[in-house]
This record gives sequence, structure tokens and C-alpha cells, in this order.
Amino acid sequence: MPRFALAIPAWAWLAIFFVAPVAMVVWFSFGYKPGIFGTHANDVLSFDRYLEALSPTFFSTFLNTLWIGLAGTALCLLIGLPVAYWMAVKAPPSRRGLLIALVLVPFWTNFLVRTIGWQVILAPEGWLSTLLQDVGLIGGPLDILYTRSAVLIGVVYNYLPLMILPLFVAFDRVGTPVREASKDLGAGRWRTFLRVTLPLARPGVIAGVLLVFIPLMGDYITATVLGGAKGNMVGQLVASQFQAAQNWALGSAMAVMLILVIMVTVAVGALVVWLVMLPIRSRNRLVLGDAPAAATGGDRASEAARESEEVLS
Amino acid sequence: MKRSWSDVALSVWGVLVFLFLFAPIIVIIISAFNSGRLLVAWDGFGFDGFAALLEKPAIQSAVWVSIQTGFIAAIVATVLGTLAGIAMARHPGKWVFWFIGLLLLVSVTPEIVDAVALLPWLVFLGQDLGIGLFNDGIVRLVVGHSLFSTAVVSYIVRARLVGLDAQLEEASADLYAKPFATFRRVTLPLAMPAVLAGFLLSFTLSLDNTIIAAFVQVSGTTPWPVYVLSALRSGLRPEIASVSTIMLVLTLVALALVALVLRRAGDSATQIARTMTGN
Repeated sequence: MPRFALAIPAWAWLAIFFVAPVAMVVWFSFGYKPGIFGTHANDVLSFDRYLEALSPTFFSTFLNTLWIGLAGTALCLLIGLPVAYWMAVKAPPSRRGLLIALVLVPFWTNFLVRTIGWQVILAPEGWLSTLLQDVGLIGGPLDILYTRSAVLIGVVYNYLPLMILPLFVAFDRVGTPVREASKDLGAGRWRTFLRVTLPLARPGVIAGVLLVFIPLMGDYITATVLGGAKGNMVGQLVASQFQAAQNWALGSAMAVMLILVIMVTVAVGALVVWLVMLPIRSRNRLVLGDAPAAATGGDRASEAARESEEVLS
Repeated sequence: MKRSWSDVALSVWGVLVFLFLFAPIIVIIISAFNSGRLLVAWDGFGFDGFAALLEKPAIQSAVWVSIQTGFIAAIVATVLGTLAGIAMARHPGKWVFWFIGLLLLVSVTPEIVDAVALLPWLVFLGQDLGIGLFNDGIVRLVVGHSLFSTAVVSYIVRARLVGLDAQLEEASADLYAKPFATFRRVTLPLAMPAVLAGFLLSFTLSLDNTIIAAFVQVSGTTPWPVYVLSALRSGLRPEIASVSTIMLVLTLVALALVALVLRRAGDSATQIARTMTGN
């Protein structure tokens, strides 16, 4: 028996129901829509559908999606990082299980239903609108539903648990000894956080950003429920080409473009982060070079210094 | 010890974010008891929404389709994923690299792409190739819902077994157990907590699946989330919130069971969090 014998059923299942259909979509994307009643034809192959997908009408939706994807991921990181740190470091250990369970509840509530919850909250005649008017923060009814801002609130809400959980795991893994060692060496709480805890939690930050950004870019439901005409995303564009317009060739090209945009953005993002971190890394290397000499005090401290050096270099 | 202002600020932030996370869920649960005609407009307290579950066959059918699909999809994903996970953990080799690559591809592909790809593919299988099985609504839903779950179960089972030494299996083989007996009596029980967790996760993932379901469903077998999606266009009534509340309670019971199983198996809160999010 070959070593992978037990994996053959899963392999076959995914080949038939994932690889083959996606390959078919890639194939469709090089074709065209023949007449009103056809959905796709492949007797003439070209890149024309890709050019069409990038024409001004659709290009603005791609830009809009990218904007929501980047802004949403950044907001998730800004909101989620302090929460994850609080859960892993500041909250009493006995309550951590409960806190994780609480983060998981919205994560496992039906995606569509919780988005509808936001539709109710943000509605112009809803209670939030009334409350804000009574307090005097806004003059008229709340005018946010069916705009890009509503979609942004929706995606931040929907993907926030995916940011908090990996960050929590990463902060939890750093552990108390390393932080205490850093403080023993004279670093304040901010310095400890920025120079020791955060760099050690980097895998969690990367996992969180990817777990949020990738599904967010392909989101269809949030934009459908909260977006209206102004908050369009590529997911809806693809869906409408397959359903309403019956143009499978163009829809396929858009789907492939979406995957390409996600991959290119992740690659560019990784490159930018690497370039930005370059001067910080070289500076930290210099500082940490002196650390073992100063840390004659104890094993723990020099261990901490060594460990952070390993991570930073 | 006096708490510093930054600790206080962190706690306040934490509580605020938790309120944010629960706001729409609380709104939905409150709306479930709205006796009015529209979900958005509060009319009065009542159980009319819950009564709709008993009165409307369309809702009953949608919930039943969801539960059936969830159950079958979970079985498919658990069987395929468990076998694949065991193979990856116990028979490693170069193939694991490629297989994990495929699983990663399955997990990062946007659901909408899976959905638009499966629709013509199932039409091709069912109508062009004439395989009648793929014209069945439940089969189509099961296929769509099992893809991501298979990847998740594979990860979970592999992670569990990689953490456990293979000595027990070697001992079993030394004691003249046939490979299948070792598999059934040693490997499978070792992997069981991960298998159960994977099964319940797959079930909830399937209950939640809206996008793929909306594309591959055939009329007559509409699952609950797709029913909600179409209600979105025709006007949301409080019964949507009521049935969703019941479904939420069911999901939470399933998840509490997962956590319990994992805790029994000795996982820490952190490990449970990792397992439950599929990484």
C-alpha cells in the first residue's frame, strides 16, 4: 500500500468537487458569451474577458473591494490586538476559557443572521438612530445603512473573531517568564510590549491578518445585506454575472481576477512589511548585541535576550 | 497592587469590544419576541415568531433540509478528513507537502468562487454526463458543504496525532495486531476527540453555509440560510429572528459539546481555541 493510501478518498473528493470545477471556471474565463441565450463558449480563446473585467465600470468595484479589504483588516487588527492582549495577559487565567467561549459565540452565529442584526441596528428608524438623535449627536435619522461605511462596520464585526483568536494564542504562548525577564532588565511596560511581546507574537499577527483579509476580499453576504448600490464588492459582481447576466465567461474572469488580486495584495503587503522592518531589525540587532554583557544577573534574563534576538534577526 | 491606567484602559476596551461582538446577536434575540409584522419595527412582546415554525411548512422544510445536509456533510467530511489526517500524521512523506498545499488552496479560495464553480460543474455532471445523483438537492448541498469541512477535519486530526507518539501503534503491531486492527483499536481511539470535534465543527459550518448553498440548491430543497437570504429581498419578518435564535441555541449546545470533549481529552483553553478555528 502506498503511504498516502488513506488520503486517497479525500484527495479524490477534492479533485472532483474542487479542483475540476475551479479549473473549469479558469477555462471559461478565456471564452466569451455567445448571444443572449448562451452562457459561455470556448471556441475562440482570448484574454478579452479579463480586459472587460478591468473596464471602468467593474474596475471601480475592484478598487472598492480592495479599499474595504485593507481598511477592514487594519481596523480588525487595531481593535483586536488590545483585546487579545487583555485576554491572554491581563484577564485572570481562570476566566480565559469563558472569554474565548464568548468570542466564539458570534463566530458561530449564522453569518447572514448576525449581519441582519446590524441592518436592524443601523436602520434609519432603528433604536441607535433614535438614541443618537435624542443625545443630539446627529440632526436627522441615521444615514449609514446601504453605504460603504455600513459595509465596513459589517466586515469588521464579522471577521473580528478571526483576528482575536490567533492573536490570543500568540500572546498566550509568549508566556509570563519572558515578559518578567524583560522588566527585570529594566524595560518599562511599553518597551516590554513593543520590543519583546509584540515581536514574539508576530506569527499570530500574520495569521490573523491573513485569516481576516482573504475571506473578507471574497465576501458576498455583508455587502449584499448592508451595502446597497454604493457598497458593492467583487463577490456580488461575480454572483450577478452568473445569476442575472448569465455571462459565465465574464463572471469566471472576475472570479479569477479576484483570486489574483488577493494573492498580489498579500505578496505586496509582505514585501512592504519586510522593507519597513528592515531598519528596525538592524537597529534592534545593535541594541541586543550588548544585552548578554548587561544581563549577568540571571539565566532567565539572558535566555530572554537570546530568544528575542533569535526572533528579531 | 494599584492598577495602572493602561490596565484599566485595556479592560474597558475589552468590555466595549465584547459588547460590540454581542450587539447584533442581542438585537436578533430581542427581535425574536417581536409580535409585529416586520423584523425592523418593534410592535410588542409575543411568541408569534416561534409559532410560525409550527405553522409554515416552508420554514419547517428549510430547517429540516439544513439539519439533514449538516448531518450528512459532517459524516462525509469526518470520514474523508479523518483518514487523510491519519495518513498525514502516520505515513508522512513528500506527498504530505502537496496534500497540505491542496487543503490550503481549498481553505483560502473565496466561497463565492467555489459557489460559481460548483454550479456549472454539477449541471455538467448531472445533465451532460447524466449522473442523476447530482440532480438531487441534498447531494448537491452535501458536496458544496463538505469541501471546506474536509480540510478542517484533516488539519485537526493531523494536529492531534502529530502531538502523540506513534509508539502505541508500534507496540500494537509488535503484539501481532493486523494493520486494520491497530487502526481500529489504537489509532482511531487516539484520534477520537479530534474526530468528534471535527464532526461537530463540520455540522455547524454546514448549518452556516449560505453562499455555496444559494448557488447549488435546487428548488424544493432550500436550506435555512438560503430561505433567510430570499426573505431579505421579500421583507424580513420576526419569525426569521425566532428560528435563528433556536438554531443559535442548537449550535451553542453542539459547540459546548466540542469544548467538553476537548477538555476531557486534556486540552487547555488555548488549544481549544486553536482547534475550534481550524488552525
